[in-house]
Amino acid sequence: MTDRLENMALVMPGLLLLGLAFILPVLQMLVLSVSGPDGFTLEHFTRFLSDSYYLGILWRTVRLSALITLITALIGFPLAYIMAKSGPRLRLWLTLIVILPLMTSVVIRTFGWIVLLGRSGMIPSMLRDLGLVGRSFSIIQTESAIVIGMVQVLLPFMTLSVLGVVMSIDGRLEEAARTMGCSFMKTIRTVVLPLSLPGIVAGGLLVFTLSASSFVTPSLLGGSRIQVLAGSIYNAVTQTLEWEFAAAQAVILFVGVALVLVPYLSVTGRRNG
Amino acid sequence: MKLDFAKMFLGVSALSLMASAAVAQEKTLTINSFGGAYEEAHRACIITPFEQETGAKVEIVTAYSADAFAQVRAQKDAPQFDIIHFSGGQEIVAANEGLLAPIDAAKVPNLANVYDFAKANVAKGEGPAYSIAAIGMIYNTEKAPSAPTQWTDIMDPAFAEHLVLTDISNGYGMLGFLMINQVNGGTLENIQPGLDAVTKLLEAGAIIVSKSPEIQQEFAQNDAWLAPYASDYGYTLRKAGLPAGFVQGEEGTPASLITVNMVANRPNEDLALKFIDISVSPEAQQCFADALRYSPTNSKAELSAEVAADVAYGEDGVKGLLRFDPIAIEANRAAWVEAWNKTIAR
Amino acid sequence: MVSGTPIWARYFAVIFIVCTALFLLAPLFVVMGVSVSESQFISFPPQGFTLHWYEKVLSSDAYVNAAWTSLWIALTVTIAASLIGGAAAIALNRRSLPASGLMSAALLSPLVLPTIIYAIGMLLLWSAIFGPISPLALAIGHTVIALPYVVRTCLAVLADTDPFLEEAARTMGAGRLQRLAFVVLPQIKPGLLAGGFFAFNISFDEAVLSLFLRKPGLTTLPVQIYGQLEFSPDPSVAAVSTMMIGLTIVLLIIIDRTLGLGKIASV
Repeated sequence: MTDRLENMALVMPGLLLLGLAFILPVLQMLVLSVSGPDGFTLEHFTRFLSDSYYLGILWRTVRLSALITLITALIGFPLAYIMAKSGPRLRLWLTLIVILPLMTSVVIRTFGWIVLLGRSGMIPSMLRDLGLVGRSFSIIQTESAIVIGMVQVLLPFMTLSVLGVVMSIDGRLEEAARTMGCSFMKTIRTVVLPLSLPGIVAGGLLVFTLSASSFVTPSLLGGSRIQVLAGSIYNAVTQTLEWEFAAAQAVILFVGVALVLVPYLSVTGRRNG
Repeated sequence: MKLDFAKMFLGVSALSLMASAAVAQEKTLTINSFGGAYEEAHRACIITPFEQETGAKVEIVTAYSADAFAQVRAQKDAPQFDIIHFSGGQEIVAANEGLLAPIDAAKVPNLANVYDFAKANVAKGEGPAYSIAAIGMIYNTEKAPSAPTQWTDIMDPAFAEHLVLTDISNGYGMLGFLMINQVNGGTLENIQPGLDAVTKLLEAGAIIVSKSPEIQQEFAQNDAWLAPYASDYGYTLRKAGLPAGFVQGEEGTPASLITVNMVANRPNEDLALKFIDISVSPEAQQCFADALRYSPTNSKAELSAEVAADVAYGEDGVKGLLRFDPIAIEANRAAWVEAWNKTIAR
Repeated sequence: MVSGTPIWARYFAVIFIVCTALFLLAPLFVVMGVSVSESQFISFPPQGFTLHWYEKVLSSDAYVNAAWTSLWIALTVTIAASLIGGAAAIALNRRSLPASGLMSAALLSPLVLPTIIYAIGMLLLWSAIFGPISPLALAIGHTVIALPYVVRTCLAVLADTDPFLEEAARTMGAGRLQRLAFVVLPQIKPGLLAGGFFAFNISFDEAVLSLFLRKPGLTTLPVQIYGQLEFSPDPSVAAVSTMMIGLTIVLLIIIDRTLGLGKIASV
């Protein structure tokens, strides 16, 4: 048995599973995206791409996913750094707090937000009592609600991803920077941040993809007036029964995500050397 | 001799095994129901009587019409449902695509007394309606400035921020919208007046929900005063202790038919037909009306005065119901949903 | 290092942690609050105190059966995804296969596609080939969507390990299986644990595939919760969730006591 054979044997079950149980069923769906009553057609794609309403949905999906990724990185990096620097007990509790939302059913978690952010929910009424906002102020059914809900769900992925990398940074590097006269912030900026970049990139990748393809949280928190692409796909499958159009939208989402991720990866990849 | 005995024994047990397997297979009917209080009533009024009468076992998958339809369509080659219930007109598409089996009216004796409009296309596969939800207006009896009497009251600025509309991806929402469209001068050929009205309502502060429980949430927590929706849900809110009244608009009451359909390519035809027969029987429909305030489709169903007041009852009551052409709705659904989505999009 | 942290940074850290924790936990507190409310609606702040909803859940066949179904499927998925994903990661990490970059990308692709498209495709294909849905179909589906997480965590862990260790074992005469068992397996173990943890969670929380690949008797907990919320929402869903939160805490503490929670933090 050669090394190559061994490697093939190791990777084969995964590829087989993927080919038979993922690519095959998905292809079957995606073929629908180019099928019309008279065979091959691109009408489902032109319908989407020539309509400002759908382009708006696509743009919103990409924009919100990018925003969510940015916010999770902004919270996730300091959080992971603090976790890495704290004692084991505190770290256990922080890990627990970060992982708990992940373990709660998405429907339930989102429901908690609905209660908090809804029209007579705690946060809007608090702001109203403080006189900061008007009577009809509401967070639910806005893009902000989607971002808040998604950041909570996806923060664990970013934090854990960064944590793994930050934990492996040699503490002496930071000490060296400090003794050579760097301020605390400068050390973070010039030593810790660049070294944790692989973790942030990996986490960002995951967060971006997951937020672009998720549907439950956006549809519950955004309501039917603020559609994202995954929600639009869901509607086309279950409500208007246009499976061909749903498949076309899935292809567009897939390509859209790839178009964003490829430059992102090559840029960050180059910076990592 | 001993050997023969063993052989015989084996043979008999194998036979009985096969027989029992066959019986078990024949004697199970898989259906969908709509969950919650609906499923409880469904069980009490139709499923349990059916099981007692036939000795068969009914297995229920809880699924709304849209999800159930997606499953039936994807499983065309190997359907798991024997009976499928739809509340949003999906039977028309399903029958068209050959997913449903035609029903021989002669094998369903109770169909004879069912109103014609509720069984028009059973021979094509569109199952009969076994109950009707009347679409009207649910209002808050304590807070609403006045009880609404006609559909145009929805446009009354007094309700503005307290009005709850339902997305037309929901079957009841669709009928409510078509009614708003009609009273604003629209027709099934032209829904623009309805869309314009909705734009105005949204600007005035109305909100849109997409699922029934959200209406309950709005009435219970968020100071909702008025929502075009179905009679049965008004009754659900009242039972839950909310001050909810239901009125039928003077301009007419759209009817939403809940149908019971037989799925094609299943081995249990006789049992399925029996199930449909029980579903459209006067007893089952009385029971349903008592429990949930659905209007019966069987002319022989007899309701108490109290229940009758809440539903469309009798030949005359049913005549007052308004039916938007279901074929036109199905033909336009995708385009309408798209136009609606564009109208309500922020 | 800590000695060198300026005092403002420490204050910032405390405030930051408190705010983040509040943000992450607020919705969970809401859920816990609702679960003991006497009101028959889902409402907050809770009215009164009752354990009625817990009683209702624990005495409900639907919930208990759904929990068992979910547990079985999640366990199967955890084992299958860890084995398949771990093996693939080992091979991909060696970078000796042609197109291993493409293969890694392919193994991660289930992340990008909205599950509903996969769910319908799977239902179409399974019905066409095998006929009626079985728990196996659901387990396979869940394994596919859990696989990327296992591959990712394992690749991340392996990237930090010393490739020469295996080489050293080889020169010292260890056979293939020995090397896999005594060198690579210990190296990849943290990744497998973390990946398995995610796989379990993903299967346990997955609702869309479970919604479409269901049949009588094959209802998972998320589908049961979703159904309850959809059809007749009452605080029982909050009670189930609170129990799940409690179970998670216990599970995480056990993992920490036995393996160290730090292992999970290497996604």
